[in-house]
Amino acid sequence: MDILLQLFWIFLKINLLSTSGPASVGLLYDEVVGSHVTQAQFVQAVGLSSVLPGSDALQLAMYVGYAVAGIPGGMVALAGSILPPTLIILGVTVVLHRLRREAWLSNFVEGLAPAISVLMLFTAWKIFQNGDSMGWWAWAVGVVSLVAMILKAPARFVVIVAGIIGAYFFSR
Amino acid sequence: MKMNFSVWLRLLQMFLKVNILSPSGPASVGFLYEESVGKIMTEEQFVEAVGFSNVLPGSEALKLAMFVGYAAGGFPGVLSALLGAIIPPTVLMLIVSALLQRFQQENWLMGFVAGMSPAVAALIVFVSWELFRVSARKRIDRRVLLIATLSAVAFWAEIPSPFVLLGAGIMGVLLFGRRSY
Repeated sequence: MDILLQLFWIFLKINLLSTSGPASVGLLYDEVVGSHVTQAQFVQAVGLSSVLPGSDALQLAMYVGYAVAGIPGGMVALAGSILPPTLIILGVTVVLHRLRREAWLSNFVEGLAPAISVLMLFTAWKIFQNGDSMGWWAWAVGVVSLVAMILKAPARFVVIVAGIIGAYFFSR
Repeated sequence: MKMNFSVWLRLLQMFLKVNILSPSGPASVGFLYEESVGKIMTEEQFVEAVGFSNVLPGSEALKLAMFVGYAAGGFPGVLSALLGAIIPPTVLMLIVSALLQRFQQENWLMGFVAGMSPAVAALIVFVSWELFRVSARKRIDRRVLLIATLSAVAFWAEIPSPFVLLGAGIMGVLLFGRRSY
């Protein structure tokens, strides 16, 4: 029961402090890797959520929740992710016109954005080091992936190809 | 606002479709536009929905779904849109994670994860850049850079990230609040 409450709180916190689905990756990493899931599991979660259709944030929540505490864990993580935006939206639809004049909430979220970008860079670096066993290959795969995405290649395609390269050449 | 069953059913159907066919939250916006504008809501309502879901914290796909659902079918509309947006991604993920937990110690999976790591890192860098670009385009000034620099220092000093983010949000309230900067 204790672990379920912990999961719920983690996802509640993450969804109150992130501007959008993909932006939650950095904070989620800091909150769960090491203490609840391994780094390899986290990489799987991010990779899979970008491959499967639908909202990344919900899929990350589902994966992490399931890995930690099975199906109840997945449900609790999901509830924690859904609750904050739902309550906020319902609140906004009720006080819609008032909020438009009160800009502090939008300023709060705009202040979050640059910090989240920086946090994600830190997270990317930690995850990158997980590919260490591949030596300079990791740099090659990373750079090629980044260029591919800048050239608008679909992320799911890039991630799958990189995984297949790893499975083929680097399975111990 | 029409309160009838067919609208709710249509919302549910629409969001199931959008969420099965689109790779991620932000990618669903364009698709959703084609599915809903002119049919169940006006363009103006849609633009307002996108604006609000960018401004409020939390997953934007969900917020967008709720706004569209509300505009088209009131509170029951919110529920059907939400269900449609939640069910496909989470059920899929549940199945895949349940399968994967069995293979955790397999060699090929370790190789797959090792290969995926640099690509996932690149994906995160890419998303982070997109985020930064969007926030810097809205306010091209030193305040964005100041928040970014201070948070980099704070993460470096290993201050827990929720505190750093909270601080950044508060700085946003203080700095962006003064319009005549």
